[in-house]
Parts: sequence; C-alpha cells; structure tokens
Amino acid sequence: MKGKYHKLVMIIITLAFVTPLFGFSNAVAEITLTYSDWQLGQDIWGRSLREAMAEFERLNPGIKVKTEPVALGQRDVKFTTAIRGGKGPDVFALDANPVKQYIKNKWVKDLTPFIEKEGGKDWLSDFYPVTLMPVTEKDGIYGIPKNVVAMVLVYNSDLLNKSGISSPPKTWDDFRAVSKKLTMATKSGGPIDQWGATLVLAKACFDLRFSVVLRGFGGDFLTPDWKHSALNTPEAKQAFNFVVDSILKDKTMPPGVAQVDCNGARRLLAHKKVGMIFGTMWTITEVSGMNKDLHGWKVLEMAPVPQTSDAKSKIRSTLFQKSIFMNPNTKNPDAAWKLVKFLTEKKQMQKWFVDNNMLSCRQSVNEGFGPILQSKYAAVVTNEIANHAAFLPLIPQWPECLEAFRQNLQAAVAGSKTPEQALMDAHNQIESILSR
Amino acid sequence: MSIKEHTQGYLFILPALLFLVVILGFPAVAAVLQSFNLMWVPDPSFSTKSYVRLLGDVEFRTSVLNTVIFVTSTVGMHLLIGLGVALLLNMEIKNKHFFRVVAILPWTVPDVIGGLIWRFMFDTLPGIVNAVLLKVGLVADPIDWLGNPALAFPCVIFAEVWRGYPYVMLILLAGLQAIPKELYEAAEIDGSSKFTSFFFITLPNLKFMIIIATILDIIWECRLFGMVYSMTGGGPGYSSQVLSLLTYKHYFIFFNSPYAGAIAVVLALIMLFISIPYLRMTMRQEL
Repeated sequence: MKGKYHKLVMIIITLAFVTPLFGFSNAVAEITLTYSDWQLGQDIWGRSLREAMAEFERLNPGIKVKTEPVALGQRDVKFTTAIRGGKGPDVFALDANPVKQYIKNKWVKDLTPFIEKEGGKDWLSDFYPVTLMPVTEKDGIYGIPKNVVAMVLVYNSDLLNKSGISSPPKTWDDFRAVSKKLTMATKSGGPIDQWGATLVLAKACFDLRFSVVLRGFGGDFLTPDWKHSALNTPEAKQAFNFVVDSILKDKTMPPGVAQVDCNGARRLLAHKKVGMIFGTMWTITEVSGMNKDLHGWKVLEMAPVPQTSDAKSKIRSTLFQKSIFMNPNTKNPDAAWKLVKFLTEKKQMQKWFVDNNMLSCRQSVNEGFGPILQSKYAAVVTNEIANHAAFLPLIPQWPECLEAFRQNLQAAVAGSKTPEQALMDAHNQIESILSR
Repeated sequence: MSIKEHTQGYLFILPALLFLVVILGFPAVAAVLQSFNLMWVPDPSFSTKSYVRLLGDVEFRTSVLNTVIFVTSTVGMHLLIGLGVALLLNMEIKNKHFFRVVAILPWTVPDVIGGLIWRFMFDTLPGIVNAVLLKVGLVADPIDWLGNPALAFPCVIFAEVWRGYPYVMLILLAGLQAIPKELYEAAEIDGSSKFTSFFFITLPNLKFMIIIATILDIIWECRLFGMVYSMTGGGPGYSSQVLSLLTYKHYFIFFNSPYAGAIAVVLALIMLFISIPYLRMTMRQEL
C-alpha cells in the first residue's frame, strides 16, 4: 500500500513538471507585446487605448498586447532604467521633450528599415513635415508621430460675460485688464475667491504653458539655432516681468501659484476659481470631466495666445506631440512594428479625435475628417499648428535648461531674487549648460 | 575550531554575502565607474570632468548646505522629541502599550506618502493648515507655505521630524528599559531629585544608545529623498534641494549619468565618513 502511494506521488510530481512544457510550447506560437503609455492611467484616454488594443488583437490573431500604464512624472525614470537593463516595454509613447536624449543614448530603435519596406518617403508623406522633426536624427527615423496640438488660451466664456467681457484678450495689455476684472470676491463681503488666470509654475507641464507667454511677447528661451540663451532680449524681460507683476503686484493669479501644475490649473478652471488658463484640445475633455456642473463643452472656449501689439514674430504658441517608439531590446520587432503602424494609422487617429478630442499628425485626418472640420476647438488649434507654433528646443540639454529657467522664475515669484537678477541668472546658467 | 567547522561558517554566510555583492556592491561599483564616464554611457572613456564640475557648481554647493541644515535640524529634533516621548512611554501608565503603538504610527508611513499628505495639508488654498489658521483668525490671508523659500524648507523639516522621530524613540526606549531601577531607587534614597537623576543616571546610561541612534539617523536623513521630492521637488528655486534630489534630477531628468554618479559617490563618501564612529563602537562592543 505504501509502495502504491509512493508511486502515485511520483507520478503526480512528474506530471506537474512535464505538463507546463506542453503549455509552454503552445504559448511559443503566440507573441505578447507590452505597450506602455502615461495615458493608459487616465479614465477616458485609457479606455480609448484599451479599445484600440482589443481591435489590434482582433486584427492580428497570434499577437497579444499587455498594457502597462506609467505615471507621466515617472515615465522617463521607468523607461530608461528598464531599457538600460535590457528590458522595458516593446512599444511605448513619448512626448517630444526627451526624444533627442533617447535617440542619443540609443534607447529607441531606428525605424527607417521598417519605413522603407512600407514605401519610404511616400508612406511618410501624409504626416506634417514639422511632426517628423522631433523623431528624426541624422536621416534615421526613430518614432512615428501620433498626435499634435498647439497651446492656446482656454477661457470660461460664462465668467467673462458675467464680468462684462465680450471677447477674449488679443494683446497682453488686454489680458492684464481682463485678469483684473475677473479677480473678485464672488460672495459679498467675502475674501477674493476668483482670479483672472493661472499659469503653471510647478514642474509638471511648465514648459508648454510658460513658453507661450515668452513667445507671445516675441521672445523665446533659446536663439533659433538653439545654441545660445535668448533670455537677455527686451522681449524676454518684458514677458518675465509681466508674469512676476501679475502674481505679485496685480495679484490676479491664485495664491500658491508657484505650486500649481497642469492638473492644478485645470482644477482651478473646472471649479471656476480662474477664468483663463493656457491649454489645448485635451483641456476641454479633462476640465469637463473634473466638474460636470461646469458644462465645459458649452462654456469653455479657445482663442489664440495673446501677443504684444507690435509683435514681429509669427510664432506665439508651442507644439505638443505624442509619438510612438520601439524598444531596441524588443524580441519581436516585426510584431512591434505592426503595433506602431496600427496606433498611428488614419482610422486610429480618427478614433482618437472622437474619443479624446486630440488632433492627428496626419494631414489627411485633420483636413478631411468631418468631426474635426466641424469642431470649433480644432479650428483654433489647427490654425496655430499650421501658422503660429513651434516645438521647444529639440536638444539633449533642453531639460536642464528648462529647469534652470523654472527655478529662477520661482525665485523671482517668491521674492528671493529680483526679476532682473533671476532672469540674468537663468540666462547665464543656460549659457553655461549649452557651452558644456 | 576544525577546518570543516570553519568552512561551514563561510558556507552559511555565503548566500548573504552574494546578496550583498549583487544588491549593494554592484550598484556601488557601477556608480563609481559611471562617474568616471566608463560604464553605461554613449561613449565610454575615462574622464574626471564630472568631479571638476562639482567643484564649481553653485547648485551642488547649495544642495550640500541644504543637506547639512536638513540633517542637523531633523536629527536634533528627532533626539529631543524621541527622548521626550521615550521617557513618557517608559513610565508606568495605564494603556501604555496603546500609546506606544500610536507613537510609532508616523514611522509606518512611507516617506513619499508622508510627503504627499503634508503637501496637501500645506496647500495654499485647499490645505487644512491654512483652513485652521484662517478659521481661528491667526492669519487674514492664506500662507503660501510651500511656495515661499523661507517657509518651504522648514515645512519639509517639520514633516520629516513628524515621520522620523519614532525610529529614535524606539532605540532610546529600549535603552531606558535596560537601566536598572535600583539605580533610581538608590538615588532617591540619597535625596536626588528627578532632574538630577535624569542628568546623572539616565543620560550617562543612555550615552551609547544616543550615539548609535544619532549616527544611524544621520545616515538615514542624508539619503532621504521621497519626502523632499513629493513635498517641494527641491523648490521653490533651490531652497529645499538636497543632494539625493540633485542626484535624481541629473540622472533621470537631465540624463547626465556621469555627473549624477559623481554626486552619488560624494554623498556615499560623506556617509561612510559619518558611519566610521558607529562601526568602531560596534566592533569594540563585540570584542
């Protein structure tokens, strides 16, 4: 009896070791790709992306996609650490900011051979040429553009109308006057609880929002060749002083603005604490979702970024672009390329607009898709993309230059440096970074 | 001891040694190599550029100064508050075990979570700190706690003092409980007051534990990252930036891995220097 029991146990143990081998050999035939994106963690966009993945799997039996959300603030930490270690998601999304660093450090795969097989220049011809700039380096193309937008002024038309303002500000003097009118105590005898506007001075998303103020004044962070700081120009000084005065003298921005990030700014707009912020297409979706009582799709409007009345430069706005990349460590490059192509094809771009109000990097979509042509928001933003917007500097040193500027701006807002000293320090630090 | 017993001893510690080499040794060596531009860089070649740059970097000097201020303040307050709470918890009071659990609770909060909680509490508009101050009439307008360079760093120090004192308290409480009660009884018989007993019995007997707690706390606070990162991110300006945060920024945001490696090596050397007295004391004890 004992012998039989012993035999039974040995058979079970043997089966336990052998059975997974059969399962494993079945699994070999199916490829699993990992896709990572910060928007997977957001309600509306996450749902839209997961629907897209389900559709991809349906069209590509034998390929499974595992989605991995990543927080935007931790994205580069997670991706670069994993890729350095030989791992990381097979396909992932990035905005334009760190792409040059990723290319320089070989953290993204050169997609040129795949593009050549699709038709090379013909295949790329549907993309706006400017959208290929961030993903191209020395004739190699390292990513495929997906969405592009430009920053604009987003305002609550209800609040403006209630204050007797019938149209959004076109110049910075108008902006200042409108901000003052909107700043008030909404309850009689109470403290001020509504402000004209807010900027984003915290790290998250500072670059897109602040840059439009600089550019609206005709200035910029760097010279057009991206080799020197442009913060010593009269336009940059004007913009810098305008922001500091708005916060410290006019007090038309909420207290604690130095800690406001992009979500904080949207929340303030959603809850009618401010009348104006700088945003873009996603702002309408996000803000409306934050407060259903706002009826955001009805009351929120868009207008071009204000400019000085004697503005010489056409550029007043900043482009944001999301592109799709492949991990150089991927074990399934052909399958990964199928996913990259799928996420950036026309049909998915159209879905992305319907679901998330995001414009495409494809000309045929922005200029031919009915819902985009009928959208009042798209009309404002596409005009900015085509005529008035440019990327932030696409150089590896850009994150460090930006942080040097932001820290000095915060010091000026906090009063620990005068605006003149802060701007000069920022200029000198950026010059030092660029000369390394 | 026979050779066999000797070898057995080494075999027993081998797994732990391997673990230490992989988890601690390899990253340490990698950081040093990276700081000299030799590993995990696009074009490896020996260079001391990063260390030369450290000498002239104002931001690095500011971060070192901030780290010194941060460590001195938090460790000092941890000792004061930790000792005070330990003395209270060492008394024979009803439900003392419940109070001990409550006293330890801040330490159970991860530093990043603690930082986020305090950030929300110190938030200018919706934060509870301003809400309470405005309600009781102590201030007329909300205070920009984390946006004011003069206030942001003290707020971070306050949050870390709250979170970290139980660690020191536990060490000192263990030390207090080891002091023989007979010493206090004898002192009382000789007419000693509680005040005198504290200075001539409690403190001398706690000396070793105080030194251990101080050194361990200094090492802990030197490398603290999560609290500062989640509360202020080093701002406004560089007013609350410490060395660990500067290392993180250069490695993960600016992608300057050799320079980040150099900062990390300097920080490690500082902590090694601080830990020498601790190592000597513990080795002396074992002997």
